[in-house]
Amino acid sequence: MSSMTKVASLARPARRPPEPRLLGRRRTHYLYILPTTLLFVAFVLYPIVSVVAMSFFSKDSASAGTGPLANYQAVLTDPIFSTAVVNMAIWAVLTITIQMVVGGSLAYLIETHTRRTKAVLRTAFLIPMVTSVSVVAIVWQQFYAPMYGPLENLLKSIGVSMQGISLLGQPSTAIYAVIAVNIWMYTGFSMLLYIVGLHRISSEILDAAKADGATGLRLARHILIPMLAPTTKSLLLLGIIGTLQTFALVFLMTNGGPNHASDVFGTQIFRSAFRLNHMGYASALSSITLAIAFALTLLQLRVLHTGLSPTGGGNA
Amino acid sequence: MTSYRLKLVAAAAAAVLAVGACTGSSATTAPGSAASAAASAAASAAASAAASAAPSTTAACTSGTVTVWSWFVQSTMQKAVDAYQKAHPGVTVKYTYYNYDPEYLTALKAAAASNTLPDVIGLQPGSLTQQYRDQLAPIQDYAAKAWGSDWQKLLPAVDLQQMQLGNPAGDTNFYMLPHESQVLAIWYNKDIFAKYNLSVPTTLDQLIAVSKTLRANSVIPMYQGAAGSWQNENVFLQLANQVKSGVTDAVQQGKADWTDPAIVTAMKTWGDLFTDGVFQDGALGAQGYPTGAQLFASGKVGMVTFGSWWLQEAFLAPPQPDQVNDLKAFDYFLWPSIAPGTQPGAVVGGIDVGYGMTKNGAGNPCAFDFLASLLHGEAGQAALADVNNLPAFLDVKLPAGVGPNVTSLYNKFMAQLPSAVNQRWYSADVQQAVDDALQAVAAGQKTAEQAVADVAAAQKKVLGQ
Repeated sequence: MSSMTKVASLARPARRPPEPRLLGRRRTHYLYILPTTLLFVAFVLYPIVSVVAMSFFSKDSASAGTGPLANYQAVLTDPIFSTAVVNMAIWAVLTITIQMVVGGSLAYLIETHTRRTKAVLRTAFLIPMVTSVSVVAIVWQQFYAPMYGPLENLLKSIGVSMQGISLLGQPSTAIYAVIAVNIWMYTGFSMLLYIVGLHRISSEILDAAKADGATGLRLARHILIPMLAPTTKSLLLLGIIGTLQTFALVFLMTNGGPNHASDVFGTQIFRSAFRLNHMGYASALSSITLAIAFALTLLQLRVLHTGLSPTGGGNA
Repeated sequence: MTSYRLKLVAAAAAAVLAVGACTGSSATTAPGSAASAAASAAASAAASAAASAAPSTTAACTSGTVTVWSWFVQSTMQKAVDAYQKAHPGVTVKYTYYNYDPEYLTALKAAAASNTLPDVIGLQPGSLTQQYRDQLAPIQDYAAKAWGSDWQKLLPAVDLQQMQLGNPAGDTNFYMLPHESQVLAIWYNKDIFAKYNLSVPTTLDQLIAVSKTLRANSVIPMYQGAAGSWQNENVFLQLANQVKSGVTDAVQQGKADWTDPAIVTAMKTWGDLFTDGVFQDGALGAQGYPTGAQLFASGKVGMVTFGSWWLQEAFLAPPQPDQVNDLKAFDYFLWPSIAPGTQPGAVVGGIDVGYGMTKNGAGNPCAFDFLASLLHGEAGQAALADVNNLPAFLDVKLPAGVGPNVTSLYNKFMAQLPSAVNQRWYSADVQQAVDDALQAVAAGQKTAEQAVADVAAAQKKVLGQ
């Protein structure tokens, strides 16, 4: 070998052995997430795919024909589906907005106007959220009972008579009666997130705003609400997903009645799958629910630039 | 993402989709037309004829484990299990209690899909049994071996009818056996009636008058949990079969139409029970259990449309109101006459709870051994003192030690059971249509005629007409 070749060969770094073809050098990294991935595939992805497949291929007496879209046609032409869509829209609008307004107000009042009772009040408003939904349903059914319930007696004491009307037993009021219970139950969650959000606001900003004379509604409008926007967006995202998952409270309080007046997707799916054995119909409705959730989530992430942190972190 | 990784992810996704599609395409389908029903019936008959040969195992039960799922009262079932295990020291019975709706229904569905059903499952006749017929072993030969070839004579006619309810044409197998029977009725508080000088009503007008008196004295007249469906169905069945006995069976078999005047009369009367003040205000938002039962037991309600299972109230764990002891303050009557020419009634009832042996259990010699003991043996006898309901087997006697009033009521119900009309539904779709109709009429959303027309349409679809 010539000296030039020797020098050249010395200058050129030795070739590395070829990298393993499978997954590269990060093979061990993937091994760490493999267990979770397997669990996700087994208990989340596979059931979803299975349900979507059943929605196309499983036919029963509820299916509108024999084609692959027969179950979807049955769902979309079912008057009960339309009722459920309207109910869920009402549910989303009322629960999300009222919980935000009340929860946010409670958070501000507790954090700024209380000291010794702060922990007690925080806990008190969180208790409904951690109470068993079965207990809540039974208690509120008694509360609403027209002949002997506390609500009737309460209204009588201020001169209002329910005249034997049951809020849960009237098709026009049943869903609103359950929505009221849901608001009572989960306003504490909104309050909790707003408390966290308030604590993330720099005290210097608040002090400066107050020094400029911003108090009360002006402070709320120009400082607090804009700075709590990430929390609000997160609550909106979680609220819509929570609405689509609604089942237990409606099932226990009204079973979707009277005569489907308070039906939501959850009660309709349960009834179709487990009482009527219409698995194709139930799978189609489940798939539609999933698609709606997916689309709304994407929309929110894009339009609102919502972060996924429950504390309101991420992109504002 | 590198091309290797992209291919890997794509391959994984394709595999999952393929597996899911295979699962979806193998899902069972229910026949929706007469033609496919006939084809499936022929297949069922052939399969069941082959399957109903001698029991798959003739091995004696000496040791092993039997798994049982049901919604049957856990404390009562435990007495039965303890008695059986004492008589069969090598056998362990594992009973899992579920709340019927929704826990039991969902657990059953999931276990059936994964072929992990236990040996014995609790069933109601009709649609619930038919849903799982493919996973159940025909049971008549086991019954014949245990109780003799004429074992069917031990059961009331309505139970025998219900045991095969919904079987495809040509399938004469029995897939379930009854454990307890029941008769529907109107229970009333004798003390409250005596306090306000009320007599048992025998006509609808008398019932309305009694209800008015009770309301005037701040007593709930007749508590109806109309938010749930079962109590509504029970009332409707009694009314319809009072006007024309057997009409609800006839319409479900396609031998009559839901627009029959007897059905319309029953539906109209049902609606009037709300507007005439017989049922309490807000009944559509109320539940029979636990609220109705508790209010009735505590003396706040004059009447309630329950059935013979309410005898168990006398044996629930304390504390109980004093009037519940031996049910001394309570009695029952059949529905007052609602139309000219009708008599109070009808006696409606049948199987309250039964059991089926799954194909998993057919290979376990102890499975039917326990079941036979529970239904008509030492296990069932041990639990009889709880008087959970009426026994299905007519030769089963109440043990000594049960109070005189409960014994009297029990004997009265047992005397009526042999003449009971079927209370169960052939099809879950028709049952749902009836539930919707009853609530629509109760809420004033539909007239009786409109409501029965909707049920008629659902019935026609089920019958493939």
